[in-house]
Amino acid sequence: MVKYLAKDDLKCIQCGTCEEVCSSAYFKTKDRFKSCIQINEEQGKPEISVCSQCGKCIDICPVMAISRDKQGIVRINKKICVGCFMCVGFCPELSMRQHDDYIEPFKCIACGLCAKKCPTGAISMAEKDDSQSQELKLDKLFNK
Amino acid sequence: MIKVNNRDFQWEQGMTVDDIMKIKKFSWPKIIVKINGQHVEEEDYKTRIVNDGDDVQMLHLLAGG
Amino acid sequence: MDIKVLRDNHKLLAEYKYELGKIDKGYTGRSLFVNISENKIESKPVSQMMKDKFVGGKGFGLWYLWNATTPSTKWNDPENEIIICGGPVCGITQYPGSGKSLVCSISPATDMPIDSNVGGYFGPLLKFSGWDALELQGKSEKDIIIVIDGNNGTVRIEEASLEAVDGHVLGEQLTEMYADNEEDKRNVAVVTAGSGAEHTRMGLLNFTFYDPRRKVARLKQAGRGGIGTVFRDKKVKALVVKFSSVKGDLNNPFDQGILNRTGIKLHKEVHDLDPKQNNMRKIGTANIIEVMDEYDLLPVMNYQYGNHPDTQKIKSTVFIDKYITQGVQDGCWYGCSLACAKAADNFLLKTGPYKGHKVTVDGPEYENAAGLGSNCAIFDPEGILELNFYCDTYGIDTISFGTATAFAMECYERGIINKEITGGLELNFGNFDSAAQLLHQMSKGEGFGVVVGQGIHRMKELFAEKYGADADFLFDIGMEQKGLEYSEYGSKESLAQQGGYGLTNKGPQHDEAWLIFMDMVNNQIPTFEDKAEALHYFPMFRTWFGLYGLCKLPWNDIAPANNKFTSEPAKIPEHVQNYLDIVYGVTGKRLGTDDMVRESERVYNFQRIFNIRLGKGLRKNDKTPYRSMGPVTKEEYESRQERYDGQLKEKIGYDVTGKTTEEKMAVLRSYREDQYEKLTDAVYKRRGWNSNGVPTIEHLKELGMDLPELIEVVKGLQ
Repeated sequence: MVKYLAKDDLKCIQCGTCEEVCSSAYFKTKDRFKSCIQINEEQGKPEISVCSQCGKCIDICPVMAISRDKQGIVRINKKICVGCFMCVGFCPELSMRQHDDYIEPFKCIACGLCAKKCPTGAISMAEKDDSQSQELKLDKLFNK
Repeated sequence: MIKVNNRDFQWEQGMTVDDIMKIKKFSWPKIIVKINGQHVEEEDYKTRIVNDGDDVQMLHLLAGG
Repeated sequence: MDIKVLRDNHKLLAEYKYELGKIDKGYTGRSLFVNISENKIESKPVSQMMKDKFVGGKGFGLWYLWNATTPSTKWNDPENEIIICGGPVCGITQYPGSGKSLVCSISPATDMPIDSNVGGYFGPLLKFSGWDALELQGKSEKDIIIVIDGNNGTVRIEEASLEAVDGHVLGEQLTEMYADNEEDKRNVAVVTAGSGAEHTRMGLLNFTFYDPRRKVARLKQAGRGGIGTVFRDKKVKALVVKFSSVKGDLNNPFDQGILNRTGIKLHKEVHDLDPKQNNMRKIGTANIIEVMDEYDLLPVMNYQYGNHPDTQKIKSTVFIDKYITQGVQDGCWYGCSLACAKAADNFLLKTGPYKGHKVTVDGPEYENAAGLGSNCAIFDPEGILELNFYCDTYGIDTISFGTATAFAMECYERGIINKEITGGLELNFGNFDSAAQLLHQMSKGEGFGVVVGQGIHRMKELFAEKYGADADFLFDIGMEQKGLEYSEYGSKESLAQQGGYGLTNKGPQHDEAWLIFMDMVNNQIPTFEDKAEALHYFPMFRTWFGLYGLCKLPWNDIAPANNKFTSEPAKIPEHVQNYLDIVYGVTGKRLGTDDMVRESERVYNFQRIFNIRLGKGLRKNDKTPYRSMGPVTKEEYESRQERYDGQLKEKIGYDVTGKTTEEKMAVLRSYREDQYEKLTDAVYKRRGWNSNGVPTIEHLKELGMDLPELIEVVKGLQ
């Protein structure tokens, strides 16, 4: 199973609490541009932008710094990362983040802190089937 | 008669941008089409009729290995 | 063989310890000089003059080469050098195509400077190890390797007698030997040649990049002009560099934010548009095989024709569907989302010393599919992949091999050479087995393969002198100029491209200008002046990539969605601006498009004068074979008679009624040759050269390139 942050745009009131919680937890600062979850506005309506743990970025990374952990969460190993930001450009949800203060990208790791503080239940922790993971199976691909 | 890339080209009634591309065997994926200086979008190639006397440009963006 | 046994057998010849240093805005400020005749290793400062006038990359390479050699230096003299230099932008990881190395040497094919642009990790890791360039001089008596350890600050010359010579084996051996573990393998980059480089003049250099998914040391090639031949003549088996902590900001750039933004913008563009445009991520440059066929530009049977019904057997989708592994990140340096370095995995070899092995074949690139495939009429995808593999591992340039083999095949088909001369090889067009045999002979240094391996220029001389062939006819059909084989495009119907091949510094390679669509199809540059402008701008613009350590493909193998609304879509203005932005981001130098051209002009004119210094580089050297300009034979004319007859009527007003093919051919030829001369006049004028192709002193002054040593060369030729 894959743990992820489920979202319901219709319930979002754009209060910004999730962004504050995330950037505080992640970077010890209140800055929405340093938050893994970001609330945008699309044609006057709130749109929650956050990683769906699809795993597309896993195959994009040139150094295999991105992988899925035991809980199915897609994580970046910043020690290995070479800061190319291809994963940012190729994220189907546009939810892989980059900030000039850091040379590595960052993303939602489904920790659930923001969901706990969301006043309307627009975001919540959920699980989905492995079959929705989109990364390649390398062993199969190379017959190794 | 019309012009295609500033060369004479035999015009026929009802001819579309797509028809010309087929006759010229223009298969390159990056072609800019203009008729009398006006851009034609790719989704309109099959429906955009070319009129007699039109100046058609089918500019292939250069590339190469 | 056990890696430990190989390593234990090494004998240390010299060791040099250095301070690791720090990169400042793209430059380390010093070059590593290694002389292997004397086992001397030293650090040389990079001067402000070098940065101002030569920038980096091939600019530095040519400058070092000029200073190391004399007007009489030959390719196999000890003073000849191999210089590898990335350039100031080389090594950034955010913008696609930013890890290129430029390699310069005096070429065994052309006897003048050659430069080759190559991917792989050597250039960036060399810089991160503390060196803007590696300058390699001298000749060793025994096989050696040079190992640069950028973690600990040591450079060692070691005798290495047991290692393999062939690229795919040696690359693996040395990667394994110098990596601490599997994860560390991507931090080791190796440069090798191969066994074929020892016996031919078309030897290349393989630059590795370790692929952590395939677990293979992949190979990119500095292919053109025989630099691998020089490498093996110096008895260098390999160069190794190791640097284990690559990050995205090691160039210590002036403004990292600009690099991040510009890179991400292009990544998004590639993500959104590449599937609708060139499909680079799926098949790389081979996407154009069938396109070239449709436009009658694919070289078929030694450039006699431009298409063939069997091209469908080798079209890009055949490789995508059946051979090339899809969906794997295939960049030859970090951050290349265009990812054109494709590979066929688990490919079973059918011939040669590695028969029965399952290997990863890097390719095919378009040039390989066209040169090894259609040009030799080998319309067989597995044949192309096999020749591609062996060319790489033997260290043989696929382009020179393909074009030279196509020439030998035509000579064989026309009875100019026969089975006795070829040692029994039936060199008919389409004969894969014979082509593979030639290649295996090049590796072993035996048979007719060694003759073909000398290149077309020397084959022409041999066939005329020894076998009584008609030298004029050989000149017409031998697709070489300046000693270098043509790359794989038919240029008969594009005068501008005839110049794009012929009016180049290093020989007929399309990396200076590819103008066929602008000229032949779009009819955008109808006058001589228009063509001359294009043959000024594009060669300068494309030279510029080689000064900074960049790849040209992300410039125009992807285009922004709104590119068509710009005033000059062919130049892809937004991407040009991206380049100016990343140069600013790295160096802090704010350039405009005119400055870009100017920077290139300095190096371009320097290279021209370098050619002149070596007795070349004049108008007579820019003459091209007629096969590149028009139909040499009756068959060629008659295969496209409607086209040629039409041109005779429309362009010259010549009445073709009742005329024989021979009569028409003669008139067409005289017209086309005259056009090329007029084009040459216009191009020289635009480039600031006199009618003999010599840069004028006035022009050199304007460029700030009136260096006394350059004036000395050109002053008697004004």
